Formats: sequence, structure tokens, C-alpha cells
Amino acid sequence: MKPHRALPIASGCAVALLLAACGGGSSSSAPQRAASQVFTYDTTATVMDDGWDPATEYSDGIIAMSQMYETLTRYDAATHRVEPLLATSWSSADGGKTWTFHLRHGVHFHTGRLMTAQIAKAALLRTIKLGGGAAYVFGAVKTIDTPDQYTLVFHLKYPSPLDLEASASYSAYIYDTDAAGPGGNLTKWLNTPHDAGTGPYEVQTWNKGQELELILKSFPGYWGGWSGPHYKKVVFRVVTTDTTSAQLLRSGAVDFVEQIGPSIWKSFQGDPGIRTVASPSWQNLLAQLNAKSLSLPVRQAILYAIDYPGIIAALQGAAFPSSGLVPAGLLGHSTSLPNYTYDPAKAKQLLNQAGYGPGKKALNLSLTYTSGDSNEQVVAELMKSNLAKLNINLSTQSLAWPTQWAKAKSANAANHQSIFLEYWWPDYADPYTWFTNLLQTQKPPYFNLSYYSNPIMDAQINRVESVVATSPAAAAALYRTMQVENFQQAPVDALYNVNYQYAMRTNFTGFKVNPAYANVVFTYNLRPTGS
Amino acid sequence: LIVYVARRIATAILVVAGVVVLTFVIARVVPGDPAATWAGPHASAAQVAAARHYLGLDRPPAIQLLSYFGGILTGNWGIAIHTHRPVLSDLAVVAPASLELVTAAMIIALVVAVPLGLISARWPGRASDQVIRAGSILGVSMPIFWMALILQLVFAQRLHLLPVAGEYSPSLLFTHPLTRLTGFGLIDAPLTGNWPMFGSILSHMLLPAVVIAAYPAGLLTRMIRAQVLDTIGDSHVQMVRSLGFSERAVFGRFAMKLAWNPVAAAVALVFAYSLVNTFLVEAIFDWPGLGSYTTASITSLDTPAILGVTLFIALVYVVANLAVDIFQAAIDPRIRLR
Repeated sequence: MKPHRALPIASGCAVALLLAACGGGSSSSAPQRAASQVFTYDTTATVMDDGWDPATEYSDGIIAMSQMYETLTRYDAATHRVEPLLATSWSSADGGKTWTFHLRHGVHFHTGRLMTAQIAKAALLRTIKLGGGAAYVFGAVKTIDTPDQYTLVFHLKYPSPLDLEASASYSAYIYDTDAAGPGGNLTKWLNTPHDAGTGPYEVQTWNKGQELELILKSFPGYWGGWSGPHYKKVVFRVVTTDTTSAQLLRSGAVDFVEQIGPSIWKSFQGDPGIRTVASPSWQNLLAQLNAKSLSLPVRQAILYAIDYPGIIAALQGAAFPSSGLVPAGLLGHSTSLPNYTYDPAKAKQLLNQAGYGPGKKALNLSLTYTSGDSNEQVVAELMKSNLAKLNINLSTQSLAWPTQWAKAKSANAANHQSIFLEYWWPDYADPYTWFTNLLQTQKPPYFNLSYYSNPIMDAQINRVESVVATSPAAAAALYRTMQVENFQQAPVDALYNVNYQYAMRTNFTGFKVNPAYANVVFTYNLRPTGS
Repeated sequence: LIVYVARRIATAILVVAGVVVLTFVIARVVPGDPAATWAGPHASAAQVAAARHYLGLDRPPAIQLLSYFGGILTGNWGIAIHTHRPVLSDLAVVAPASLELVTAAMIIALVVAVPLGLISARWPGRASDQVIRAGSILGVSMPIFWMALILQLVFAQRLHLLPVAGEYSPSLLFTHPLTRLTGFGLIDAPLTGNWPMFGSILSHMLLPAVVIAAYPAGLLTRMIRAQVLDTIGDSHVQMVRSLGFSERAVFGRFAMKLAWNPVAAAVALVFAYSLVNTFLVEAIFDWPGLGSYTTASITSLDTPAILGVTLFIALVYVVANLAVDIFQAAIDPRIRLR
């Protein structure tokens, strides 16, 4: 599941203005205190809403999973390099078709077992077999050998950037496959819940559906050790109202607010107890247009009718214009791609071609977006208003993410929406996911919720992974070609790219934004200072 | 009295049944696929079909409705789609927090409204009356979310007198975890000797309870004032006065006694109303009650859970009104004849 990072429902502009006006002088709210042992992460949506299995979890659980589980490598967006994690070194041979990873010694799972190449292999094979989440990142893997206790050798069907793929934020975790005991059902055991990772934290309490949803505690046997200042507990607190999140942050009751309404985020600036961080992300808001029910001119007309600058202005710094599907910083991004711009005259002309538009037959469309996300709500309302001028009646429906997704995947096409809004971000530092998940033919649909099917593009998508491994320049060109094709056929449009706006207390250091791991705070790397 | 009570219960059952049918129809009209939501994101078409069968969604709507009614009578309110748990079990977890909050709010409202209403009636037209009437109007008319934010800003953020949000301090999870017995935190904490938790819940509850109390306090103050003023000129009250009773006794004991009937009816109605009104307050104060559960149910198109919440609130309305009706009928025989 690849849903959203929901922004809470703001209680209206007046409230935001009130907070903005009153918030500036609230610095006194944080009394001096000793370095806390507990790091509290304020999130707007349920954290573990897609199960506890590290092989298949594909949703907001990433922010907690990344504390409990580790991958062979980790991507550093600052250096654009893949760094060692559970693997200390690696090399490729045979033109990118054979990869050898040397594992870190002395790493223990939370179950107490020593991490070996054999267990790592079993974990990866199980993930590949289950085929959930982002298991497609190991699609090239043919066999895995374990010549010794600490060496993994991957033999691939075609060249693939496995060091990059092994750093994926989903489905690349190494876990103890025997955690449930001999003959035990691992998935069932994990969902109890338990965890079977090697990360610095392990699950202490899960209060499903409650405000203090998840508490993690430090894993004493963590290979990185616990010398020096570290948080010993991590609390994930679900706060659905952003005004309340703001108050909690100001009072010091939470340490980090994942995302918050732009006007309230601005009100934090100048508060000495709070640090604000803004950073371009690799996340964009997509409009997936139903290619089964909407003709090409209608799809294009809709995209020309959207007031993109208006949306970006309304989001007050939380969004910036996109160019194509691929955000800046990833292979295949280009600022010279053709993009849809706000052009009502062209939209009207295209609609007329299809027999719709002002003075003609009205067009009735539906749009679904994720409930609780104030930014998506703004976009939906602006789109409704934009399209109304062209005699298009857009009915908008906000739904919980699982319901929105289930409705879009329904076997009954009558349940399908005309336009599906959702956020998308990469599973690893490559744009492959935008193409394989959103544009490749899927029967039944999974994330291709525009129900688009194009054999030429399918073939290009099948080819691009191996091109990335052998010739990044050729891969960039291929990604560009596919984006142009997407522009021409208009099944998916990136309405804007998300600008992360985080707010946090100043009582810790070490926070770095890493867009390869959406909204993840690697808590172990933080240093509580107690200011 | 028995005939009267039987008649009222029959009417109450009809009301509840009507609410259930209406909610069931509305929930079915909204397009969606609860079976797919139930089966989860990685489910195959066969698993979704199996879920549809398991949930009974492949049966005709009329049969589903009849089955639902049958279930209600046997304590089976269905399985919530978004939690995969029996709706009744879910409600047993979330409803106590809301009921606790609204009960606290009603106590605050009565403690405030009775003396203020009497003071207002005792000296009508005076400055105290004007201030109390203005305050009552403010309490009734001020948007609840606005008041919640203002109180949160002043008492939590600025003055640091009360906590911002939540049911209790998260740090107590590590030192004094709450053991749930009845589901009511303010009962469970003292029952288990967990006094730090009791204090924490009480302090966390105060602000949201005051916010919820604003409307009933305003309403009841005005009602008590009007009722007392209405009866103060009656001959029997005049007689009490002529017998030499103090003005405090005339107002507090005799005039107020006559005002209790309509006030009790209003309290019952306002209690149930506040239960719904609390949803927004719960969101602002992160109070773990019916509000967040209802929101999640609606956005998940979770028909059994939506029906369960609606049925629960309808029952609260009906039972509260029934109790007041019986109470009134018991103390005033004229009501039975109406």
C-alpha cells in the first residue's frame, strides 16, 4: 500500500490565523529540562495500518519499521551514495548480473539469533515469494548463494542496481524467518504484534486505534551500541488535528511533528524552542485519470483546466511545481519536459471535440481523495471549481485510505472513480516505481488506478531496470521518453511536488531529511540535548 | 403507570428501529466495497469474494437488514470492517471515554446552572441578571471548536495550568500504566490504587469537559431562570412566602422544586446531544472516545460500525428520555393522563 502522508484537517483559516497570531510569543512554553529518554513523534494517521510483516508492509508503517528493521544498505540523499548498513561492503560482476554482499559480523536479531547469510537469504526469498509491498525491487533476482556465514551472492536474470535496490524503504528488510519457532506462522506471529529485525528499537506496546498508538523500546543488543546520548524509547502519537499538534509541540509534549498545515508551520518560525525544517521531497501528489471511462481529449482537457499556480499558492509553501513525474534528485528528472499548464481555452476546445463543455452536454465526474488530508482537500475543491467553469460537475469524496484504494480496485468498474488523488514516492532512490506501479498494465488493478494499458510503455518499463544498471545516461533518456508518452496519453499527472515542512523541538540534534525514506526520523541517530 | 411505561417503551423501540433502517439505507447508497477493505490491500479477487460472503454482503439488502435486527436482539451488532472486531466490543472500548467526559460536563453544567439560574431569577433585571443572561447566551452560541481552541491556548499553552490534549500523560505509561476494568478511567484508576493516573485523567478531562459543559450550562441557566420566574408568582409560592420562609428557601426549595421537571427533561436531551457534540471536542483534545471511532467508520464506509454508533446514540437518547418520562410520571400523576 502506498498511500499518503495525511495532513490533519485544519479547523479553518481563522484558527490558523489565530495560532499564527498567538503562537509567536509562546516560546516560554518549553521549560528547561533534562535530556529526555523518550522521543515522541507526532503523526496524523495510524502508523501500523498495513500489518507488521516487514515483507509486505507498504504504507505509513515505514516510519516505525525503519526503527525496528534494517536493510543491507542505506541511501544517503545528501551524498547521493549508497552507504553500508547490514552489509559492510559489496561488489558487482558480470556486467551487473552478479552481486556479492559481505555482511556485518556480530549482528543479532531481536529474537536473539545471530544474523547470518543463511537467515538473510531466507528473509529475502520469503519476501520475494510473498510478492507483496515493494518486493518487485528484487524482481531481477534468480538465485542467492551463501558461500560462507557472512557472504551473500546474488545471481540476477538481468543487470540491475542491486546495491540501490537493497536500500529500499520497503520489502528490503532482513529479518529472522524462524522467529515464530519451528512450524510457526510467521505472518500471524508478527501481527500479534512482534518484530524480528536487527534495528535499534523493538516493539514494546501497540495500542491499535489509540492516540498513543505505538511505543518502541531500545534493543539492548543492538550492534551499534548504546554509548553516548540516545533516546531509549520512541512513542508514535496519532494526533488528527493540526492545531492540537501545534499546541503539543509548543508545550514540549511531542518532539517532532511530521507534517502540519502551512500557515501553522509558519507560525513556529522565530520560536526559540522550535526548529522548522523545509526540504524538497521526492513525493508528489498524483491525479490518476480513469483511462477506461475518459477519452483522451477529455483527460487532456481536465489537465489543462487545472489551475496549477492557484493550487501551489493555496498550499503556501508546502508544494512546488513538478516537471514530469520524476522529482528533482532522481534519475530521469528533467526541467525541459512538456507539462500541462493552466489553459482553460485549450481545455474548452478539447472538451468541445468530445461533445462536452460550456453550452453543451454536462460531464459528471467523480474524484476520491484521502480523508484527513487538508492539502488534498484544497486540491479537490480547487479542481471542482476549475472544472465547473467548463460545465464539468466534479463530485468529490473523501475516504479513509484503505477504503479509497479498495473502491478503486473493486472488481465492479461502476465503483471506480474518474480521478484518484494520491501521493507517490520512490521505494528506493530510482523513479522505477512511478512507471512499474502506476503505468504498467495491471490485471486486476493494484496501483495503476487510471487502468491504463499501453504495450509499448510496458515493454519500455520491462527494459528500464537493466538499462539503469548498465547505462544511467540511457536510462535517463528512457525515463524521459516514458514521461513524454505519459504527457501525451494523460493517464497520470503530478499536480505538484511536496515540500516537506517539519517542525521539531530544539532539544535534540542529528536530524537529517532523507527523501529516500519518506518522513522517517532515524531516532537512533538523534542526540538528545535536554535544552 | 405500567401502561404508560409500556407505551413509552413501545414508542422507543419504534424510534430505534426507524433510526436503524434509515442509517442502513443511507450507508448502502454510498458506493464502495467494504469487502475489499475488509480483505486488506494484498487480497486476491477470491479472497475479496470470500470476505463478501463472510460478511453477508452477497445477500439481498432486505435479508441483511433482517439479519442485522436479529443480531441486535442477540447482542451481535456485527463486525466492524475497519477494526475487524465486534462492533459491540469496539463500543465498549471507546464509549466509556465519551460517556465519562459528557457526564463530567453535565455535572459541571448543573453545578453552574442551578445557582446562576436562581440568582438571575431572584434579582431579575439587575446587573447580575444581565451578566448571567449574557453569559448564558455566549455559552449556547459560541462555536464549540472555537471555545476549545481558546481554552487550550490560554490554559494549556500560555498559563501551563492544564495539559494540552490526550487522556493522560504519556509518561505514566512507563511508570503507572492504567489497568482497564470498566473502561472508565476515572473509575479504574482509583479501583486499582493508581492515584497518579487518576490525577492525570482528571486534569486532562477538565478543559474538554468545560467546553462541552458550556452549551448545557447556558441552556439550563436560562431554563431555570424562566421556570422559577414563572412559578414565583403562583399562589402556593406566595403562600410559602406569607408563612415567613426566607427568600432563599422560597426560591431554592419551593420555586426550584417545580422547575426540576422541565430541567430534568432538558438534561436528558442535552446529555445525548452532548454525546454527539463531543466529537469535535474529542478531536481537538485528542480524547479517545466515540468521535475518532465514528470518523474512522464513516471514512471507511464501515456500515456495521456506523450503524453501531448510530444505534448506540439513539439508545442513549431513548433511554435518557424514557428515564425522565418515567421519573416525571412517577412524581406527577397528571403526566400519565396526557
